[in-house]
Amino acid sequence: MMTYLIRRVLFQGVPVLIGFTFLVFLMINFAPGDPVTHLRGVPDLDPRVIEDRKTQLGLDRPLVVRYFDWVGELLQGNLGRSFDSARRPVADLIRERLPVTILLSVSSIIIGWGIGIPVGIYSARRQYTLSDYSITFLAFVGVSVPNFFFGMVLLYIFALILNVLPAGGYFSPGEEFSFLGMLSYLVMPAFTLGLASIASITRYMRSSLLEVIRQDYLRTARAKGLRERVVIYKHALRNALIPILTLMGFMVPIIFSGAVITEQVFSWPGLGRMVIDATHQRNYPVMMGINLMFGILTFLGNVVADVAYAIADPRIRYD
Amino acid sequence: MAENNEERVLSRRNIESPWAVGWRRFKKNRIALLGAIFLLIFVFLAIFAPYLTPHSPTRADFLKRNEAPSSEHWLGTDEMGRDILTRTLHGGRISLSVGLVSVSITMFIALILGSIAGYAGGFTDTIIMRLADIFLSFPFLILAITASALLGPSIYNVMIILGVISWPGPCRLLRAEFLKLKSQDFIQAAVALGGGHRRIVLIHLLPNAIPPLLVAATLGVASAIIGEAGLSFLGLGVPPPAPSWGNMLNSARALHIMEGMPWMWLPPGIAIFLAVLSINFLGDGLRDALDPKQEG
Repeated sequence: MMTYLIRRVLFQGVPVLIGFTFLVFLMINFAPGDPVTHLRGVPDLDPRVIEDRKTQLGLDRPLVVRYFDWVGELLQGNLGRSFDSARRPVADLIRERLPVTILLSVSSIIIGWGIGIPVGIYSARRQYTLSDYSITFLAFVGVSVPNFFFGMVLLYIFALILNVLPAGGYFSPGEEFSFLGMLSYLVMPAFTLGLASIASITRYMRSSLLEVIRQDYLRTARAKGLRERVVIYKHALRNALIPILTLMGFMVPIIFSGAVITEQVFSWPGLGRMVIDATHQRNYPVMMGINLMFGILTFLGNVVADVAYAIADPRIRYD
Repeated sequence: MAENNEERVLSRRNIESPWAVGWRRFKKNRIALLGAIFLLIFVFLAIFAPYLTPHSPTRADFLKRNEAPSSEHWLGTDEMGRDILTRTLHGGRISLSVGLVSVSITMFIALILGSIAGYAGGFTDTIIMRLADIFLSFPFLILAITASALLGPSIYNVMIILGVISWPGPCRLLRAEFLKLKSQDFIQAAVALGGGHRRIVLIHLLPNAIPPLLVAATLGVASAIIGEAGLSFLGLGVPPPAPSWGNMLNSARALHIMEGMPWMWLPPGIAIFLAVLSINFLGDGLRDALDPKQEG
């Protein structure tokens, strides 16, 4: 299993990550407006001055050389400084916001799996009954509601009409931290972000279990006289869960995309909100830093999914 | 000899084409039909939007700001006095055209790269597939946001961005389909008969790979509509005053509007939801109908 994982990370993960940094680098360089743009507007300026400035900033060197310089800085954790007046290092800004985004994403994943898997099992065990049809229909609804609209509806009902939850935000300054307080801020964004996961995991769990239930070894288990509960939860579920684990890897980038929008709806102070603000201000160092961060998080999420998959499926070891 | 010919003609008449089988199965799927009907209604409303209401979708009327639904403005007016119903109908034009154009771009790229990867194999295949991995390792929306910031917000840029970044999914699908077909006897026969590369790809491989691609394209329209609405909701998609469902929701995000004037944000939200739901139903029905693994 170790060799499988090492091979997976080294030969598939690392090249993708390198390509990814290259793509981010290209985007910075094709961004309209480079550090010498403002000089071009100066009348009667000797073009040589611009050239000198370019040499000074290292902009005259080939793209590939600059790419490696940039990656070298990245490896030392240097992401540059924010363009805004505070000029703070991007790495610090990200470090502050990252835990808040991770909290939201992990909660929504827990909600997605915690609800999706049991509901999927329930639906599969009652195939072609009214409850199965209703669940399948609701799962369709769940994948079709855009999360910003769902978030607005939740906000409208629970914060504005019923007034039982705060209308977004996270702890305001001076507010004392408490677990319940955190939950009250977290519950709506987490469900908003989790809805699509609940729906898609329900659908996959249902079809995966139905596929396994048809197999011979389950007929054998029943023929041995095992109780239905043991047959389903011990024999069928273990195999049915394997494809669901691969789904986790696919879902990580989707969760992060959703987090950007969800954070916007609920004023959740995470990386997603930061990237939108930075984008509106054309704050390129911050934008690129967050892009990279999301790329790395996606990569790590995929590694976790691979590990889980390798642990769950013993056949992987012979791969 | 004559008898044989006659038999062949008869049996030929009895063979259903895969499309006929698909249609027969699709007709039985009530929920997919419902999706198709809903979608047709949406298309109709979008095409005839200018003739369905007497109001302009963009002209502001400051004497009629924030009006609740009435007999003149069925769904009320927004903070600039524009008719919400008219804007919602026109928003459908934007959503559907972004959906169709961006999926066409996606499919164009996927057809070319997927065919090359699947047919050529080897090193070319590895390169294309790694490129797809790189695109997939970027969260979709974050890539779209960044690209939109670099290109500037406009409806055409939204179409291009959503179209270009969605290519890896259908590309992988087409490649997998090619790999499956390539090992089959009829392709071996075509090669043995001296069929050139172009003939094998265009006549033998592609037509057989169309059904799964059609399903992916249908579902792709739904995700492009959500993508456009999401970008516009963040203020990075279709710029105002053009009415898009996403930017209508964005302009109604202030808490006092959400609480006191739900007619401003419920209609575009429900419109996105219904449009996406009906396309998903249609796509799922197509998958069930065209999947040859399911007999019956």
